[in-house]
Amino acid sequence: MALKVKVGLIGALDMLKFKKLADTRRKAIENTPVQPLPKTLVTNEKAKAMHPERQMVRVKEKRPNGPDAVTIVLESTDGKPLAPFRAGQYISVSVEIGRTRTTRSYSLCSSPAWAEQGIYHITVKRVEEDGFVSPFLQDQLKVGDTLEISSPQGHLYYEPLRDAPHVLALAGGSGITPFVGMAYALRDGYEDFDLTILFGSRTEAGIVYRRELEELAAACDRVHVVHVLSDEEKPGFEHGFISAELIEKYAAGQETSIFMCGPQAMYNYLDGEIGKLGLDRKHVRRELFGAIKDPWNQPGYPVEKKDQTFHARIIVPGQTYQIEVKASEPILTAVERAGIRAPSRCRSGECGWCRSRLLSGEVFVPEVTDGRRAADKDFGYIHPCSSFPLSDIVLEVPGQYQSR
Amino acid sequence: MAKFDAVVIGAGNGGLAAACRLAKAGKKTLLVEQHNLPGGVASSFRRGRFEFETALHELCEFGSADNPGGCRKTIVDDFGLDINWLMVPDNFRVITTARDGRHIDVTLPCGRENFINKMEEYVPGSRESVTNFFLLGDETLEAGHYMTDSGGKPDSNVLKTKYPNFLRTAAYPVNRVLNALKMPPLAQDIINTYWGYLGVDTEHLSFMQYVNMVSLYVNHGAWIPEKTSNQLTTGLLERFRAMGGTVWFNCRAEEILFDEEKRVKGLRTTAGVVDTRYIICNANPTMVYANLCPQEVVPDRERKLAAARRYSARMFVVYLGLNKSAEELGLKDYSYFLPASADSVKEYNSLKRIETNRFNIALCYNVVNPKASPEGTSIVSLTTTYTEDCWSEIDPKDYVRTKNQVASGMIDWFEQQTGIIIRPYIEEIEIATPWTFCRYASVPQGAAYGYELRDWDNMMPRMMMMREEYPIHGLRFCGASSIRGDGYNSAIFSGDIMAKLTLAQMEEEGC
Repeated sequence: MALKVKVGLIGALDMLKFKKLADTRRKAIENTPVQPLPKTLVTNEKAKAMHPERQMVRVKEKRPNGPDAVTIVLESTDGKPLAPFRAGQYISVSVEIGRTRTTRSYSLCSSPAWAEQGIYHITVKRVEEDGFVSPFLQDQLKVGDTLEISSPQGHLYYEPLRDAPHVLALAGGSGITPFVGMAYALRDGYEDFDLTILFGSRTEAGIVYRRELEELAAACDRVHVVHVLSDEEKPGFEHGFISAELIEKYAAGQETSIFMCGPQAMYNYLDGEIGKLGLDRKHVRRELFGAIKDPWNQPGYPVEKKDQTFHARIIVPGQTYQIEVKASEPILTAVERAGIRAPSRCRSGECGWCRSRLLSGEVFVPEVTDGRRAADKDFGYIHPCSSFPLSDIVLEVPGQYQSR
Repeated sequence: MAKFDAVVIGAGNGGLAAACRLAKAGKKTLLVEQHNLPGGVASSFRRGRFEFETALHELCEFGSADNPGGCRKTIVDDFGLDINWLMVPDNFRVITTARDGRHIDVTLPCGRENFINKMEEYVPGSRESVTNFFLLGDETLEAGHYMTDSGGKPDSNVLKTKYPNFLRTAAYPVNRVLNALKMPPLAQDIINTYWGYLGVDTEHLSFMQYVNMVSLYVNHGAWIPEKTSNQLTTGLLERFRAMGGTVWFNCRAEEILFDEEKRVKGLRTTAGVVDTRYIICNANPTMVYANLCPQEVVPDRERKLAAARRYSARMFVVYLGLNKSAEELGLKDYSYFLPASADSVKEYNSLKRIETNRFNIALCYNVVNPKASPEGTSIVSLTTTYTEDCWSEIDPKDYVRTKNQVASGMIDWFEQQTGIIIRPYIEEIEIATPWTFCRYASVPQGAAYGYELRDWDNMMPRMMMMREEYPIHGLRFCGASSIRGDGYNSAIFSGDIMAKLTLAQMEEEGC
């Protein structure tokens, strides 16, 4: 039986109504008064202020912090607020040293309240083995100089829908910085959890942030700090490395999330200790630590390649470069050393800011720093900040034209 | 100066389809994208050991290789995209309260016979009206193809003889036609479940557009790419490149350049100026006219249109990586529609405010794709939308607290309605608010669906007016803000059709 649907009483009128759809729309448009087009929208402007593409800051002050670290106070150049952040997040600082333009990530170690006044703090520790940017920021950078920084990034922050009410922070050396930020956030009412910091240092004299941490713990009863000295045994301090026993002692039977921040060696050690405790993965979170320093010790690395150097053809929009890349270094490092401008942020394989297309050749991506999307792997994309060459390569790097 | 036959601004689904079509026709085409990967909202992101699908609930109009829908024909057959697709077994499970107060908890399968039989099981006496609904759907789909093929200029005699039911129903909203079909109210409540995908309640949603969407889902099933939307959009981008296209990532369009006769002559981008006579924007026309065009080239008609329209659904999504498998948690269904009631007018109104918003569409990708996350884990996403710009009122200081409260309420609602507990198993969580969609997709107010498809501004008159819709010479628009509204298939279709119109214009003008 043929379908015959009638909606209105007279079918012919429905047909007319259909024909008139376009006319009705034309009239609806025609009958609307002309108004100027809105250039901005409130929601979009608020989103932009929260996540600016980049921020310009001036060095307001430099304060020595312990024997080999400097805290740098940054202020917005226009006196306006800096982007808000979740305590524990980092900024990526862009620097130009010689012909190299590169980035480094530093956790924000100041109160989220100060961002509203246009102030961020970062702390830069002198890194001996990779001393390229840290000496620059410590020695060359002067009060009054301007820097380009990213908006706050990263995922080591407290998330009440996920984390336990008690956080046990395990910090090594300058890995204390995100937890200083969290302590400020707790003191100033920006966060709502209990924080116990187990802070590993070699000696009492080598503790960074000691006074600030004591003041924060005194000012806020949700913040507790325990110093763990590896090279000294002193009353009032825990001794040794941060161990499973210490973790259990300070978790003290509470439902606890562990947040870690420190060098790669500390994670290697702590993985073993935490493994003994049988914790859920959701309760163990760690900050990024940069590229793997010794890819040849990672599973799957063809060790015979370790000391080789390869040719790389780097294609950026409008230009092609021939450069050399050592098997032992992330491709991004060699690209930047050659004076090529390439996007980057976390430099730990995670954020994908440096996502580039490998047109030929072979690379090694350590599994622990492989933050690529599944389909990107199939289509030949790599994150050069965490990829090591195993052959000559051809790599297409995107330009960085967001802002001029 | 770089010279291109055509430039596409924005690499969302629409922009990618437009770029592929132009490149396939041998045109020297540039695609500029502000981010460092394609897709817009059609992408994915990583958190811990999870990779989250950003936006795709399921693709309609795709279909199997044997029974391909228009979308598959375009991106697979025409553009050569070769990736693995998975079929979603059921259309949806809906748990809600019917307009007459009855509790609804039904699961409707894909495939027309299955759907009709299941509906008859739930609502005895619904068979005839639901069958007629789909027959009307067939006629509407065919009429739609005819309308498209005629370039918005159909012959009214052909329409009258071949598509009379379509003609008699196309000007009405959903509820009027369902009543005319004598569909039992409970069956109407169930069949109207998808209204949230178009963001307009069924008193103001065009029947023609709705029956079109439901029919496509039921006839062709729903499909997803195995490795998230990023596989679709990065895959399309690779096809574009393989066909000779040029892509500039991290590059933003800053100003469209015009000659004395107000015709497009180029584009200034953050990477330099390019020479071109034809531009297709995968962006919102109001924002492009306001910010990329000198005001003297914009006709008053565009200002009136912008003022007359409303933006559509502003998105809010909670992405959850759970440390238990779907089986362990008792997640058996792929999609759960959890509106507070089946009264879409009431629900549309409650979606205006943060405090009253109770809508929730939950998806568990692992039900369709066991490899969606590592063994022993699962992914659930919870989505709602706002029918007003209420997120504009949020103080940045309250932003994090507000989004967490909303997410928490959505998790509670999911657990309450389904009886499935997920909160203790959250290993990773990310919350995207309308602000997030502003940030990543540059959509106005976070409205990823473009303009509301309400009343006079629904898809049918937009399609009928496709030749006059973009009056500036050489400038067209695709994506959710274009002629077909939201949905991956609609965005792809809009890009394809705008590229075809551009190609025809190029030929006419000897370019």
